[in-house]
Amino acid sequence: MRLDFVKAFVDSTTMLFKEFAGPSSDMSSPMMRPSPHAGNEVMAIIGLSGEAQGRVIFDMDLSTAVELASHMIGEPSPGMTPLVRSSIAELASMAIGRAISEINDNGTRLHMSPPTVITGANLTSDDQCFETLVAPINTAYGEVRVNITIQDLD
Amino acid sequence: MHSIDEATSTAQPALTCLIVDDSAFMRLRLRLMMESLERVSTSEAANGTEAIQEYGRLKPDIVLMDIIMPGMEGVETVKKICEADPNARVIMISSLSHKEKIAEAKAAGARYFIPKPVTAEELRKAMNDVLSSPETNRSAGNL
Repeated sequence: MRLDFVKAFVDSTTMLFKEFAGPSSDMSSPMMRPSPHAGNEVMAIIGLSGEAQGRVIFDMDLSTAVELASHMIGEPSPGMTPLVRSSIAELASMAIGRAISEINDNGTRLHMSPPTVITGANLTSDDQCFETLVAPINTAYGEVRVNITIQDLD
Repeated sequence: MHSIDEATSTAQPALTCLIVDDSAFMRLRLRLMMESLERVSTSEAANGTEAIQEYGRLKPDIVLMDIIMPGMEGVETVKKICEADPNARVIMISSLSHKEKIAEAKAAGARYFIPKPVTAEELRKAMNDVLSSPETNRSAGNL
Protein backbone atom coordinates (compact mmCIF):
# COMPACT_ATOMS: atom_id res chain seq x y z
CA MET A 1 0.00 0.00 0.00
CA ARG A 2 1.41 3.40 -0.98
CA LEU A 3 0.46 5.48 2.04
CA ASP A 4 1.84 8.67 0.49
CA PHE A 5 -0.61 8.26 -2.40
CA VAL A 6 -3.39 7.35 0.01
CA LYS A 7 -2.80 10.58 1.91
CA ALA A 8 -3.11 12.57 -1.32
CA PHE A 9 -6.45 10.87 -2.09
CA VAL A 10 -7.79 11.38 1.45
CA ASP A 11 -6.72 15.04 1.66
CA SER A 12 -8.13 15.85 -1.79
CA THR A 13 -11.41 14.06 -1.10
CA THR A 14 -11.90 15.73 2.27
CA MET A 15 -11.25 19.16 0.76
CA LEU A 16 -13.65 18.56 -2.10
CA PHE A 17 -16.43 17.25 0.14
CA LYS A 18 -16.12 20.35 2.31
CA GLU A 19 -16.65 22.40 -0.82
CA PHE A 20 -19.51 20.41 -2.35
CA ALA A 21 -21.23 18.77 0.64
CA GLY A 22 -20.71 21.56 3.16
CA PRO A 23 -17.92 22.71 5.48
CA SER A 24 -19.06 20.37 8.27
CA SER A 25 -18.00 17.36 6.15
CA ASP A 26 -15.12 15.60 7.85
CA MET A 27 -13.32 12.29 7.86
CA SER A 28 -13.50 9.98 10.86
CA SER A 29 -10.77 7.47 11.67
CA PRO A 30 -9.67 5.49 8.61
CA MET A 31 -9.21 1.73 8.94
CA MET A 32 -7.34 -0.96 7.03
CA ARG A 33 -9.25 -3.92 5.65
CA PRO A 34 -8.08 -6.96 3.71
CA SER A 35 -10.41 -6.02 0.84
CA PRO A 36 -12.85 -3.19 0.01
CA HIS A 37 -15.73 -3.12 2.45
CA ALA A 38 -18.18 -1.55 0.06
CA GLY A 39 -21.62 -2.82 1.00
CA ASN A 40 -23.93 0.06 0.29
CA GLU A 41 -26.33 0.76 -2.55
CA VAL A 42 -24.28 3.19 -4.63
CA MET A 43 -20.65 2.81 -5.71
CA ALA A 44 -18.55 5.18 -7.83
CA ILE A 45 -15.45 3.35 -9.05
CA ILE A 46 -12.28 4.87 -10.51
CA GLY A 47 -9.45 2.68 -11.79
CA LEU A 48 -5.81 3.72 -11.32
CA SER A 49 -3.00 2.72 -13.66
CA GLY A 50 0.52 3.74 -14.61
CA GLU A 51 3.54 3.30 -12.34
CA ALA A 52 1.12 2.06 -9.66
CA GLN A 53 -2.22 0.32 -9.95
CA GLY A 54 -5.36 0.16 -7.91
CA ARG A 55 -8.80 1.56 -7.54
CA VAL A 56 -10.81 4.00 -5.48
CA ILE A 57 -14.41 3.17 -4.61
CA PHE A 58 -16.78 5.72 -3.10
CA ASP A 59 -19.74 3.92 -1.54
CA MET A 60 -22.85 5.30 0.13
CA ASP A 61 -26.53 4.68 0.80
CA LEU A 62 -29.00 5.56 -1.92
CA SER A 63 -30.54 8.33 0.18
CA THR A 64 -27.11 9.83 0.82
CA ALA A 65 -26.32 9.79 -2.90
CA VAL A 66 -29.62 11.43 -3.82
CA GLU A 67 -29.45 14.10 -1.10
CA LEU A 68 -25.78 14.87 -1.76
CA ALA A 69 -26.39 15.17 -5.49
CA SER A 70 -29.50 17.30 -4.91
CA HIS A 71 -27.36 19.69 -2.88
CA MET A 72 -24.78 19.82 -5.67
CA ILE A 73 -27.44 20.35 -8.34
CA GLY A 74 -29.29 22.96 -6.31
CA GLU A 75 -32.72 21.36 -6.39
CA PRO A 76 -34.36 18.20 -4.99
CA SER A 77 -34.04 15.03 -7.04
CA PRO A 78 -36.83 12.43 -7.03
CA GLY A 79 -34.41 9.47 -6.90
CA MET A 80 -31.38 8.00 -8.62
CA THR A 81 -31.81 9.97 -11.86
CA PRO A 82 -29.12 10.16 -14.56
CA LEU A 83 -28.21 13.63 -13.28
CA VAL A 84 -27.75 12.26 -9.75
CA ARG A 85 -25.49 9.50 -11.07
CA SER A 86 -23.53 12.07 -13.05
CA SER A 87 -23.12 14.30 -9.99
CA ILE A 88 -21.77 11.46 -7.85
CA ALA A 89 -19.43 10.39 -10.65
CA GLU A 90 -18.14 13.93 -11.10
CA LEU A 91 -17.59 14.39 -7.37
CA ALA A 92 -15.44 11.24 -7.32
CA SER A 93 -13.63 12.27 -10.49
CA MET A 94 -12.76 15.74 -9.17
CA ALA A 95 -11.51 14.35 -5.86
CA ILE A 96 -9.28 11.71 -7.42
CA GLY A 97 -8.20 13.88 -10.35
CA ARG A 98 -6.87 16.54 -8.03
CA ALA A 99 -4.87 13.96 -6.06
CA ILE A 100 -3.52 12.34 -9.23
CA SER A 101 -2.34 15.73 -10.46
CA GLU A 102 -0.39 16.22 -7.24
CA ILE A 103 1.10 12.71 -7.48
CA ASN A 104 2.15 13.27 -11.11
CA ASP A 105 3.72 16.63 -10.28
CA ASN A 106 5.72 14.81 -7.60
CA GLY A 107 7.20 12.48 -10.20
CA THR A 108 5.01 9.34 -10.37
CA ARG A 109 3.03 8.73 -13.53
CA LEU A 110 -0.48 7.75 -12.55
CA HIS A 111 -3.61 7.73 -14.69
CA MET A 112 -7.28 7.44 -13.82
CA SER A 113 -10.23 5.92 -15.66
CA PRO A 114 -13.51 7.80 -16.09
CA PRO A 115 -15.72 7.02 -13.09
CA THR A 116 -18.30 4.25 -13.23
CA VAL A 117 -21.38 4.45 -10.99
CA ILE A 118 -23.11 1.20 -9.97
CA THR A 119 -26.31 0.92 -7.98
CA GLY A 120 -27.92 -2.10 -6.33
CA ALA A 121 -28.43 -3.80 -2.98
CA ASN A 122 -25.44 -4.85 -0.85
CA LEU A 123 -22.82 -4.16 -3.50
CA THR A 124 -19.39 -5.65 -2.83
CA SER A 125 -16.06 -5.73 -4.61
CA ASP A 126 -14.22 -8.98 -5.34
CA ASP A 127 -10.69 -7.61 -4.81
CA GLN A 128 -9.93 -10.18 -2.14
CA CYS A 129 -6.17 -9.93 -2.38
CA PHE A 130 -5.63 -6.20 -1.99
CA GLU A 131 -5.38 -4.44 1.31
CA THR A 132 -7.69 -1.44 1.36
CA LEU A 133 -7.82 1.75 3.39
CA VAL A 134 -11.40 2.72 4.18
CA ALA A 135 -11.87 6.41 5.01
CA PRO A 136 -15.40 7.32 6.18
CA ILE A 137 -16.45 10.90 5.42
CA ASN A 138 -19.36 12.23 7.46
CA THR A 139 -21.51 14.72 5.60
CA ALA A 140 -24.81 16.45 6.38
CA TYR A 141 -26.41 13.93 3.99
CA GLY A 142 -24.95 10.75 5.45
CA GLU A 143 -21.70 8.80 5.39
CA VAL A 144 -19.60 8.29 2.26
CA ARG A 145 -16.83 5.68 2.51
CA VAL A 146 -13.74 6.07 0.38
CA ASN A 147 -12.09 2.66 -0.26
CA ILE A 148 -8.53 3.12 -1.53
CA THR A 149 -6.40 0.30 -2.91
CA ILE A 150 -3.08 1.15 -4.55
CA GLN A 151 0.08 -0.87 -5.10
CA ASP A 152 3.38 -0.20 -6.82
CA LEU A 153 3.98 -2.18 -10.01
CA ASP A 154 6.86 -4.31 -8.71
CA MET B 1 -13.26 40.11 -30.65
CA HIS B 2 -15.07 41.76 -27.75
CA SER B 3 -14.47 40.70 -24.17
CA ILE B 4 -17.13 39.02 -22.08
CA ASP B 5 -17.61 42.29 -20.15
CA GLU B 6 -18.17 44.25 -23.35
CA ALA B 7 -20.49 41.58 -24.67
CA THR B 8 -22.64 41.71 -21.57
CA SER B 9 -22.90 45.48 -21.42
CA THR B 10 -23.39 46.62 -25.01
CA ALA B 11 -25.47 45.75 -28.02
CA GLN B 12 -22.91 43.26 -29.29
CA PRO B 13 -24.34 40.00 -30.63
CA ALA B 14 -24.50 37.16 -28.12
CA LEU B 15 -21.35 35.14 -27.57
CA THR B 16 -21.71 31.50 -28.52
CA CYS B 17 -20.17 28.83 -26.34
CA LEU B 18 -19.86 25.08 -26.84
CA ILE B 19 -19.64 23.11 -23.57
CA VAL B 20 -17.98 19.71 -23.95
CA ASP B 21 -18.10 17.31 -20.99
CA ASP B 22 -19.29 13.73 -20.61
CA SER B 23 -20.74 14.65 -17.22
CA ALA B 24 -24.33 15.91 -17.39
CA PHE B 25 -23.76 17.52 -14.00
CA MET B 26 -20.77 19.52 -15.26
CA ARG B 27 -22.58 20.55 -18.43
CA LEU B 28 -25.46 21.85 -16.30
CA ARG B 29 -23.11 23.61 -13.89
CA LEU B 30 -21.13 25.28 -16.69
CA ARG B 31 -24.29 26.22 -18.60
CA LEU B 32 -25.73 27.93 -15.51
CA MET B 33 -22.46 29.80 -14.99
CA MET B 34 -22.31 30.89 -18.63
CA GLU B 35 -25.94 31.91 -18.73
CA SER B 36 -25.44 34.03 -15.61
CA LEU B 37 -23.35 36.17 -17.94
CA GLU B 38 -25.88 38.00 -20.07
CA ARG B 39 -25.85 37.58 -23.84
CA VAL B 40 -24.12 34.22 -23.86
CA SER B 41 -25.72 31.42 -25.84
CA THR B 42 -24.63 27.85 -25.03
CA SER B 43 -24.75 24.49 -26.75
CA GLU B 44 -23.46 21.16 -25.48
CA ALA B 45 -21.62 18.02 -26.53
CA ALA B 46 -21.10 14.91 -24.40
CA ASN B 47 -17.97 13.52 -26.10
CA GLY B 48 -15.15 14.37 -28.48
CA THR B 49 -16.87 13.15 -31.64
CA GLU B 50 -19.99 15.19 -30.91
CA ALA B 51 -17.83 18.19 -30.09
CA ILE B 52 -16.08 18.15 -33.46
CA GLN B 53 -19.41 17.88 -35.27
CA GLU B 54 -20.96 20.68 -33.23
CA TYR B 55 -17.91 22.90 -33.63
CA GLY B 56 -18.07 22.55 -37.40
CA ARG B 57 -21.79 23.28 -37.41
CA LEU B 58 -21.85 26.19 -34.95
CA LYS B 59 -18.36 27.75 -35.13
CA PRO B 60 -18.77 28.97 -31.54
CA ASP B 61 -16.82 31.95 -30.17
CA ILE B 62 -15.49 29.80 -27.35
CA VAL B 63 -15.26 26.14 -26.31
CA LEU B 64 -15.14 24.83 -22.75
CA MET B 65 -13.52 21.38 -22.91
CA ASP B 66 -13.16 18.57 -20.38
CA ILE B 67 -10.18 16.18 -20.61
CA ILE B 68 -11.31 12.85 -19.14
CA MET B 69 -14.01 11.52 -21.45
CA PRO B 70 -14.77 8.02 -22.72
CA GLY B 71 -13.70 7.51 -26.35
CA MET B 72 -11.91 10.51 -27.80
CA GLU B 73 -10.63 12.44 -24.78
CA GLY B 74 -10.35 16.21 -24.51
CA VAL B 75 -6.77 16.89 -25.58
CA GLU B 76 -7.16 14.86 -28.78
CA THR B 77 -10.48 16.60 -29.48
CA VAL B 78 -8.90 20.04 -29.07
CA LYS B 79 -6.08 19.04 -31.41
CA LYS B 80 -8.56 18.08 -34.13
CA ILE B 81 -10.65 21.23 -33.66
CA CYS B 82 -7.58 23.50 -33.76
CA GLU B 83 -6.17 21.72 -36.82
CA ALA B 84 -9.44 22.46 -38.62
CA ASP B 85 -9.70 26.01 -37.22
CA PRO B 86 -6.47 27.57 -35.90
CA ASN B 87 -8.55 30.47 -34.55
CA ALA B 88 -10.57 28.22 -32.25
CA ARG B 89 -10.65 29.54 -28.69
CA VAL B 90 -10.62 26.63 -26.29
CA ILE B 91 -10.56 26.73 -22.50
CA MET B 92 -9.71 23.39 -20.90
CA ILE B 93 -11.52 22.63 -17.64
CA SER B 94 -10.34 19.46 -15.95
CA SER B 95 -9.75 17.77 -12.62
CA LEU B 96 -6.39 16.64 -14.08
CA SER B 97 -4.19 19.72 -13.77
CA HIS B 98 -0.62 18.49 -13.48
CA LYS B 99 2.09 20.24 -15.46
CA GLU B 100 2.39 17.53 -18.10
CA LYS B 101 -1.36 17.54 -18.80
CA ILE B 102 -1.45 21.35 -19.03
CA ALA B 103 1.49 21.23 -21.47
CA GLU B 104 -0.36 18.63 -23.58
CA ALA B 105 -3.44 20.86 -23.66
CA LYS B 106 -1.37 23.86 -24.72
CA ALA B 107 0.39 21.88 -27.44
CA ALA B 108 -2.99 20.74 -28.75
CA GLY B 109 -4.14 24.36 -29.08
CA ALA B 110 -5.94 25.20 -25.83
CA ARG B 111 -5.49 28.81 -24.75
CA TYR B 112 -6.35 28.59 -21.08
CA PHE B 113 -6.60 25.91 -18.39
CA ILE B 114 -8.87 25.94 -15.35
CA PRO B 115 -8.64 23.13 -12.77
CA LYS B 116 -11.94 21.71 -11.56
CA PRO B 117 -13.91 22.61 -9.57
CA VAL B 118 -14.28 25.81 -11.58
CA THR B 119 -15.84 28.98 -10.15
CA ALA B 120 -17.83 31.59 -12.05
CA GLU B 121 -15.12 34.14 -11.36
CA GLU B 122 -12.38 31.90 -12.77
CA LEU B 123 -14.53 31.30 -15.83
CA ARG B 124 -15.16 35.02 -16.36
CA LYS B 125 -11.43 35.74 -16.07
CA ALA B 126 -10.57 33.01 -18.54
CA MET B 127 -13.21 34.20 -21.00
CA ASN B 128 -11.96 37.78 -20.83
CA ASP B 129 -8.38 36.66 -21.30
CA VAL B 130 -9.07 34.39 -24.23
CA LEU B 131 -11.55 36.64 -26.00
CA SER B 132 -9.31 39.69 -25.78
CA SER B 133 -6.29 37.89 -27.24
CA PRO B 134 -5.52 38.28 -30.94
CA GLU B 135 -6.66 35.49 -33.21
CA THR B 136 -4.08 32.73 -33.83
CA ASN B 137 -1.93 34.27 -31.09
CA ARG B 138 -2.35 32.22 -27.96
CA SER B 139 -2.80 33.97 -24.66
CA ALA B 140 -0.26 33.40 -21.95
CA GLY B 141 -3.18 32.82 -19.58
CA ASN B 142 -2.09 30.23 -17.12
CA LEU B 143 -0.69 28.00 -19.82
